[in-house]
Amino acid sequence: MNEVLLLNAAIGGIVFGAVYALIGCSLNVLAGVLRVINFAHGEFIIAGSFFAYVLFTAFALNPLYALPLCAVVFYFAGRVLYYLLVPRLAKSDEPETSSFLLMFGVSLMMVSVMTWIFEADIRPFNFSFEPINVTFFTIQDAYGEGRHGRILVPTARLVALGINAIIIMGLTWFFYRTLPGKALRAATMDREAVQIVGINIHKLSSIAFGLATALAGVTGVLLAVVVPSIDPNGGPDIVLIGFIVIVLGGLGHPVGALVAGILFGFVEQFSNVMLQQAAAQMVGFIILVAVILVRPSGLFGKAVTK
Amino acid sequence: MSNLALLDETKAARIRDALWCTLVAALVVWFAAIPALDGNLSLYFSLMLWITMATGLNIIAGFTGYMPFGYVAFYGLGTYTTAILVVNLNVSPYVAIPAAGVVGILTAILFAPTLRLGGIYFAIVSLSLSIILQRLVGLAPDEWTGGSHGLYLGQKTDRIEGYFTMVLVMVAALLTVTWLARSRLGKALKAIRDDAEAADAMGVNVNLSRLYAWMLSGLFGALCGGVQAWFTGALDPITAFDILVTAKTVIYAMAGGLGTVTGPVVGTVILVWVDELIWRQFPILNNFLLGLIIALLILFMPRGIIGTLMQRYPRIRRFIM
Repeated sequence: MNEVLLLNAAIGGIVFGAVYALIGCSLNVLAGVLRVINFAHGEFIIAGSFFAYVLFTAFALNPLYALPLCAVVFYFAGRVLYYLLVPRLAKSDEPETSSFLLMFGVSLMMVSVMTWIFEADIRPFNFSFEPINVTFFTIQDAYGEGRHGRILVPTARLVALGINAIIIMGLTWFFYRTLPGKALRAATMDREAVQIVGINIHKLSSIAFGLATALAGVTGVLLAVVVPSIDPNGGPDIVLIGFIVIVLGGLGHPVGALVAGILFGFVEQFSNVMLQQAAAQMVGFIILVAVILVRPSGLFGKAVTK
Repeated sequence: MSNLALLDETKAARIRDALWCTLVAALVVWFAAIPALDGNLSLYFSLMLWITMATGLNIIAGFTGYMPFGYVAFYGLGTYTTAILVVNLNVSPYVAIPAAGVVGILTAILFAPTLRLGGIYFAIVSLSLSIILQRLVGLAPDEWTGGSHGLYLGQKTDRIEGYFTMVLVMVAALLTVTWLARSRLGKALKAIRDDAEAADAMGVNVNLSRLYAWMLSGLFGALCGGVQAWFTGALDPITAFDILVTAKTVIYAMAGGLGTVTGPVVGTVILVWVDELIWRQFPILNNFLLGLIIALLILFMPRGIIGTLMQRYPRIRRFIM
């Protein structure tokens, strides 16, 4: 084990952790406000990646400009999707489990549409920044006498991290300083009470769904920049990371998802360096199962056992 | 209809039992006659497999109220137990498949702590456990599991004997739920599903009852996997632990109606036929249509065919198992 690998893992941990935090945030908006556990979130995100991909290949549009466009388009798509899917769910006996199944159906449909359009192969996303890498610092003698180990970080990852940080700060401001944001947090705490004070719950819920979908799309664009290849079948892997993050942080808890996302990013990157590949892939799930069994409410939430 | 309403309870129960027994007997005769009639063995085998899977899932999901989104774990372990015993240890499938059932029960006991989780948490943990098991099988030594290529039973594959074993397993599953629906345990499970605390207060042993349900579900999932391995003769970690297996099981059971004995059978028979039609007509859109059926079912018919019929015509409730 040497310092270069560990430092790279630490930097990767921050970059990927921030992406996971964003995934967790948008999943949590749905889980908290709507009580919808979005199995199709991975496909929403990949749709965002393809959105940037199409604009880049067809119009050579820089993904950084695709970002706000994607947010707007996905926001309105999400609001429409809400009225199609969610209001009927409220009548069911166990809305969360029903939503899980419903969104699984949506996920199957989205995967087959995306593989139909883009085929099942992984698409390379040939966008790069100038310069490609940023040299962070040099460690003397990292590989023995007289040789230098350098910490190289792709510019794309740094840019993505910067944008991600801005989005997360913006979200925090939105949730804690604006009226709609406060209404969303209030709806997470008590849906009935929010209606008593005169808030139109359907409108608020559709805004929440739009917001979560827009965030998913933006995450997709960022993910395409960080990992420049798009796999139409990669949704389940992404959404499972999302589940790990929101369960770890506490279902529906916005701050919890941020902390848990970054924590999980570090755990994942370090176990990639320190463990065998197959074992490293299991770490996340083992954490998930362990957290649920030991502390089902997550790091920040309240009790949920039956 | 007024005549029906006048029938007394015991008579209604007798008619209900007779109807259900006729349905089961007709199914068994039909399925058992297929090899002699030179019918489509694969289609009828998968029909029986899904009836059994949906019925097994119904015990924990319908009767007890837990949605095991990793139900495929039992199925996958069943296929691997059977294949490893048959291929590596030269054991007869007639021993290997019951052994798979035992593994299913033991796995259910191992995963029993997850039963204290409510609703969505149970679904997510169950899903994660099935993925962990899939990866563990991938990590196991290749000479045992065949690694990512999987295992082949070769000449030990037997489609005819496998087919009739599936008939037996299906009958066993149907008899088990029939018994369960009338038994004390079945009533305890429904009480737990509706209100666990109240059931506990009434003297139901909540933990033990739902553990029994979970073990029965695990048993039938694993048996299905075992027979499937014998019938098809090939398996690999991706297909043996495919989340679509869980999805189909859940959808077939829900389409008919969770919590009823007849529901999963009716739902499976209808949807496997539909699936077969879709598969033949539009291979590319197959998953799209499966997803669409799932979404439409949840939105418009969450109680399934039988459940909706019972709700709309309460009088027939007494005649449906």
